[in-house]
Amino acid sequence: MATNYLAKRFGQAILTLVATIALSFVLYHAMPGSPTESLKNVILSQQAAAGGSTVNIERLNRLVALYTNVQPDQPLYVQFYQYFSSIILEQDLGTSIYENKPVTTLIFERIPWSMFISVYAMVVGYSLSVLIGAVMAFKEKSRFDSVSSVVLIGLNSVPYYIVGILLIYFFAIQMSWFPYGGRVSSSVTAGFNVPFMRSIVMHAVLPIFSMSMLGLGGALTMRGNSVRVLGEDYLRVAKLRGLRGSRIATQYVGRNAILPMYTQFMIGIAGVFSSAVIVEQIFSYPGVGLLMYNAIQTQDYPLLMGSLIIFTTVTVVAIFIADLTYGFIDPRISAGADNE
Amino acid sequence: MSVRDEIFEIRNLDVSFELNRGASRVVRDVDLNIHREETLGIVGESGSGKSMLSSSLLNAVVEPGVCSGEVTYYPQDGDPISVLELSESELKRFRWEEVAMVFQGAMSSLNPVMRVRAHFRETLQDHNRDIPAGLERARELLESVYLDPDRVMDAYPHELSGGMKQRALIALSLILEPEVLVMDEPTAALDLLMQRSIVALLDDLQEEHDLTIVFITHDLPLLTKLADRLTVMYAFGIIENGTVDELLYNSSHPYTRALLAATPDLNVPVDEMHAIAGSKPDPVDRIEGCSYHPRCPIADEHCRSSEPPMATVNGTHESACFYHEKAREAVPLRGDSKQEGAVHE
Repeated sequence: MATNYLAKRFGQAILTLVATIALSFVLYHAMPGSPTESLKNVILSQQAAAGGSTVNIERLNRLVALYTNVQPDQPLYVQFYQYFSSIILEQDLGTSIYENKPVTTLIFERIPWSMFISVYAMVVGYSLSVLIGAVMAFKEKSRFDSVSSVVLIGLNSVPYYIVGILLIYFFAIQMSWFPYGGRVSSSVTAGFNVPFMRSIVMHAVLPIFSMSMLGLGGALTMRGNSVRVLGEDYLRVAKLRGLRGSRIATQYVGRNAILPMYTQFMIGIAGVFSSAVIVEQIFSYPGVGLLMYNAIQTQDYPLLMGSLIIFTTVTVVAIFIADLTYGFIDPRISAGADNE
Repeated sequence: MSVRDEIFEIRNLDVSFELNRGASRVVRDVDLNIHREETLGIVGESGSGKSMLSSSLLNAVVEPGVCSGEVTYYPQDGDPISVLELSESELKRFRWEEVAMVFQGAMSSLNPVMRVRAHFRETLQDHNRDIPAGLERARELLESVYLDPDRVMDAYPHELSGGMKQRALIALSLILEPEVLVMDEPTAALDLLMQRSIVALLDDLQEEHDLTIVFITHDLPLLTKLADRLTVMYAFGIIENGTVDELLYNSSHPYTRALLAATPDLNVPVDEMHAIAGSKPDPVDRIEGCSYHPRCPIADEHCRSSEPPMATVNGTHESACFYHEKAREAVPLRGDSKQEGAVHE
């Protein structure tokens, strides 16, 4: 049943989320020292620096609870329950130690910027790879085919962050076509105006381009898929039926060749944020990735755990959506789920 | 066969493929006439050029094969069409509107991500037909091939069985009301029962739609039930033509006779069935003289040096053998002694 399939996928998504939250809780406990011992030290040292003299243990525990949602003086199961319920029911991911702001505020401030570059990077990367792959397949064994194969294999072997650094060197430093960091120029006023939006686009070009290198490897997959489909019986019959060339290219070759790539695309979603951490660091692009990178540097545990949970949520939701839509793209999938 | 005029006329047809080790000529200098509203059976062993010959009727020889010669199509009214000279756009119109083809591997002939209905619709649309009327016709066609139109139209190919797909494909091939239906081993992947029912179905459809059917198979017994005329191919050329009865009871080419003798029959003891000795020639080789001479029991110097022309045996019956009168004694059939065609069940 279709509803059965839905329920199963939904259950899997929920289970993944719960597991992630549990993992972050375990990580708090696995931190050097004890669950919150190190945090206490951090707070203590901050207070000492601020010139505070008295150390009140109760007050310390309250502070720890405020920052992490973990109440160190409670039994473990109560700790877990409270941690869990404050995340699920109150959407409270704790408070950043260094920024002293709620983790959710910090993350949601920056998520649109990260989404902006990563969504465009995926769209650009995958559309390019589908296009290039299809053209390579149609012109199989031509010069274009062999040259692009070599170039693509080369690009695939070079990590995207190397590409990013090369891009900065050539296009930002040597040519000064694009800025080499930041997300918007400080000289323009924020708002709905052309210079501001232009600045955003200019700042995003290089990060998007270097991240889209990740998806470009799909061109070789697409080429292989298309070549396979071109040899299928139904393609020959479609030609024999005198169908229009454009229909054969899109409905027959395109659709059947992209199908297996959709799975790759789904897995790619998960990779987007992990690559964002490095790309945003290279381009000092203040998105969630850079936030997380800085959190690691400053040992800002609540912020780290918060981003872990948010990243997982976004990935799980994206994969869930992809799962649901897969049935529309490939009718055989929902049928296959019955047999399980 | 009320009207005895030609619908297809093939002259000097050659199909060749360029291979590294030389040109592979898979159809060699074939002449063939196909009569309007007949069922022509083309029979021959695997690799004898049957499929290539039939593909050339739609100028659909797979790349990188090259067709040369003349294939002329005579429409019911209007000027003859030279199929091999059609432009890309003319070919798109010609295919499926005049000549449709159902071929080997019908199992995978439908796009797996599209419903059966969409296959009908896109075919109608790309040939600029009236879609609602066409889909209504599609339902009738599906009914006439014993499928439930409501179920099948909304089904994806993977939801249909092999026999159902095959029948849906036959319905699809008739959607634009073609004059000629070319069937290249349409029953090869089906069980015997399904084969027989499709053959019976074709008989009905032919009567109903005034179709000319070209049926290609290596299953000789199947053809005898279906065809009006038979054409036997051996080694990339046609070696014998005639009505089913002429070929079954009076075949005059040693190869045809050997083929008949090799047909399995449960009623005949194994030692009376004869496989043909030797093996078929390589399509790259140039064959001197008669293509069958290396395997023929009555071949002589004449056969080795020159190629036998098509000779009339009597009436419509032709055989490409110098000694077609002698073939009957040289290659006896098991039916000859029993006064009963062993193949003709």
